[in-house]
Amino acid sequence: MSNATLDGKSISSEDAYEKAAEILQAANFPLVAGLGADVAGAQAAILLAERLRGAFDHLASRDSLADLEVVRSAGIFVTTPNEARVRADLVLLVGPGLTGYWPAIFDRLALDKETVHGGKTKRRVLWVGAKRGEAKIEGVEVETIPATEAELPGVLAALRARVGGRPVTLPAAAAKKLDAAAEALKSARFGVAVWSAAGLDSLMVEMLQGMITELNATTRFTGVPIGGRGNATGVLQTSAWMTGFPPRTGFGRGYPEHDTWRFEASRLVESGEADAALWISAYSGEAPPWEDVDIPLITLGPPGSAPKHGLFIAVGKPGENYDAVEFAQETSSMVLRRASAPAGLPTVAEAIAAISAKFSEDLPC
Amino acid sequence: MLIRLRGGHVVDPATGVDGVADVYFEDGRIVAPPQGREPDEDYDVSGHIVMAGAIDIHSHIAGGNVNSARLLLPEMHRSIRARLDGTPLATAKWSTFETGRLYAQMGFTTVVEPAVAPHHALHSHLELGDVPIIDKGALTVLGNDDFLLAALRERESETAIADYVAQTVEATGTLGLKCINPGGADAFKQNMRAFGLDEIVPFYGVTSRQIFKSLQKATQTVGIPHPLHLHMNNLGIAGNIDTALATIDAAEGLPMHLAHVQFYAYGLEGKNAFSSAAPALAAKINANKNITVDVGAVMFGDTVTISSDVLRQFNSLSGAIPKKGVIFDGDANGGGVVPYAYRISNYYNAIQWAAGLELFLLIEDPLQVFFTTDHPNGGPFTTYPELFALLMSAELRAQWMERLPADVLEMTSLPSIKREYTLHEIALMSRAGPARLYGFTDRGRLGEGAVADIAVYKPQKDKAGMFRNAAYVFKDGENVVRDGVVTRYTKGKTLRVRPGYDRAIEKRLDAYYDELYGLSRSIFDVPEAALAGRSVYAEVACRN
Repeated sequence: MSNATLDGKSISSEDAYEKAAEILQAANFPLVAGLGADVAGAQAAILLAERLRGAFDHLASRDSLADLEVVRSAGIFVTTPNEARVRADLVLLVGPGLTGYWPAIFDRLALDKETVHGGKTKRRVLWVGAKRGEAKIEGVEVETIPATEAELPGVLAALRARVGGRPVTLPAAAAKKLDAAAEALKSARFGVAVWSAAGLDSLMVEMLQGMITELNATTRFTGVPIGGRGNATGVLQTSAWMTGFPPRTGFGRGYPEHDTWRFEASRLVESGEADAALWISAYSGEAPPWEDVDIPLITLGPPGSAPKHGLFIAVGKPGENYDAVEFAQETSSMVLRRASAPAGLPTVAEAIAAISAKFSEDLPC
Repeated sequence: MLIRLRGGHVVDPATGVDGVADVYFEDGRIVAPPQGREPDEDYDVSGHIVMAGAIDIHSHIAGGNVNSARLLLPEMHRSIRARLDGTPLATAKWSTFETGRLYAQMGFTTVVEPAVAPHHALHSHLELGDVPIIDKGALTVLGNDDFLLAALRERESETAIADYVAQTVEATGTLGLKCINPGGADAFKQNMRAFGLDEIVPFYGVTSRQIFKSLQKATQTVGIPHPLHLHMNNLGIAGNIDTALATIDAAEGLPMHLAHVQFYAYGLEGKNAFSSAAPALAAKINANKNITVDVGAVMFGDTVTISSDVLRQFNSLSGAIPKKGVIFDGDANGGGVVPYAYRISNYYNAIQWAAGLELFLLIEDPLQVFFTTDHPNGGPFTTYPELFALLMSAELRAQWMERLPADVLEMTSLPSIKREYTLHEIALMSRAGPARLYGFTDRGRLGEGAVADIAVYKPQKDKAGMFRNAAYVFKDGENVVRDGVVTRYTKGKTLRVRPGYDRAIEKRLDAYYDELYGLSRSIFDVPEAALAGRSVYAEVACRN
């Protein structure tokens, strides 16, 4: 069975690569999007976008950029989950859904165990804005600061204010609870806040990091961000060293330009500025976010994720069907994941190489 | 294919040549003038200077902290022009691709990235693999890692520490060991805000001095050619000349390399209590032949400081320009990224600039002092040509000094120094010396058998212009630069050592990672398969 389809009908791989090359080469401003890929796949995809003078974006850019906006406007304090595991005597969990964004979070942080580095201590664990029933960790007594999603920005702001000794207008009981939490944060020796930008926005991350900056005036405090899906952090890192910029970068002028609005994938497609798209979603087969747009589309995804329309080429799942380098949340570093279920499917990089091999010679290299 | 560079002025201290000569190479290597054979290609380089490709011994070009700097400062590196055919991303500012192009353009063919954190080594190698043309090497950072500090606390044998050092260097694929503010990063995690040579890391009970001395010894024991590369305590602090002098004494005659020493050449003289102490430091270095240094010269302009000295970088945050930064408490060292602007009108910056030049000019032996700006900490590597020109002309230095705040000139000996570097000395410092420092036997020279990494410069009145745009550069015998333009990419190699050790340490480390992190140690591996042919290793021999 062929692993490629055109409008839902099976075609040969050779024809698929040929067709994909035709679509991309004919476009004035092709978009390489999704980018749910391992590092080698991202390298190939970014070089392809550059060669075609198109643009690229990642499917979880919104989440990466929520953190990055804070980094590039104010700066950031970060550490690794493993450093939190061995040293954090206080962990502040921020926002709802953390276990959804990172299922292995509490295995990694091992909050039920004592700290190791800097001496053995029992941990204190605070969770602000957990979902109902979420703030349960085996073997750990979790102190909760309730906040609905709508209330969370205000509660974070109030907590930061109390850490800084500034007044807040809250009912006495709520203020007392916040004061106790602020006191706990200030008396931590090495405190770590854990958040996922997927559940927050930039202003909340900035509020949290502003508080961490103030805490560092007298003690040590830092943070562990939970990265976006589809190897968002790995692709962000790859994009940064290759182009200087994160995704949402275009090459229309022959050099990279980064603009979070201009090169956002859905906007490029819906406005008609992009006239062809290569959608890569090798981890999950997640579909493109744009709707009802008739654009020549090539999809690279795992078997079974073929859309009804356009060209589909099946690729392996990175780290599952083939050995792949990606950013590991548990170590906060690039790692090689060995294939657990090798399959005779092309890697993302191989599929892109096969497409590129079909370009006609008049395309500059 | 036999190639000849005909009639150039060859400056090659390693072979003692300083005069007009032909250079022949074939299959990527320098060869002796062949008898009875005409070259297949002939370049007339008469009137040009011919040197081996230059080697940068310390330049932060790759890795997680460098990448954080890129992401922190998008406003600092907007691109302005399209690239040429065949050189993808070559004009993408601050990209790995541009880095390779710009170094090649200046005639540099080997560059060492000096700060690879063991747990982030794969990331560093991925970036190095995307630096085209030049060969790369790296140094592994130890000295704030729990395994070592605990071993010192438990008074473990020197053999155990040597095995650990050798294993870590091998696993991370580098040229040797760097130690950055030994113990200081860990002390900072325990809320210390300053950390000197004899201060004690809480919980471990060991001093900075003990840490680097153990690593210095281990480096020698396992036969790594490059001596311990030390980033000392108290970087950038007024009066830190005392730290530098005491550290040299602590080396006790054993080989040690001190990084970016300009940042430690500060006295307390003058009304600002900040003066150049470069003469005292240079005198100490002249008297201690076991010591080598690189300067870490400051050049005026906007830049960003990138350092695994996280304590120091935290303290720098308040002076950041623009006011933002990244502070990363890593598994061991971590890092800090803080933007900064060196201004010629700023008293302190002008002292720093002068101190860097004084060190270059007062250290007598060019084999003891190396050419760096600690890129990008003192300034970007693209300022090297201006620095070469400053070293070669007292008149040019005098012109620059006229622009400094007047009180600066009273706090530096620079105005009184008339020394001018010769091309021979430039070649010693940037070619022959670095090769010796890292144990490279195949480069830094134009002798028979050396790799054909060659830079050809056209002399001109503007010395900086001459070094900025090489007339020709050959990498492994292939022409990659013509008239200052990179015409194509080649793939460089990654140089590494493989010191021997007792493999028993691996079992112990496996158990350590299982116990501490509940993780297989192999997750931090740098398998060649992961580099997908982008980083091809070449081995540098160890001494034993």
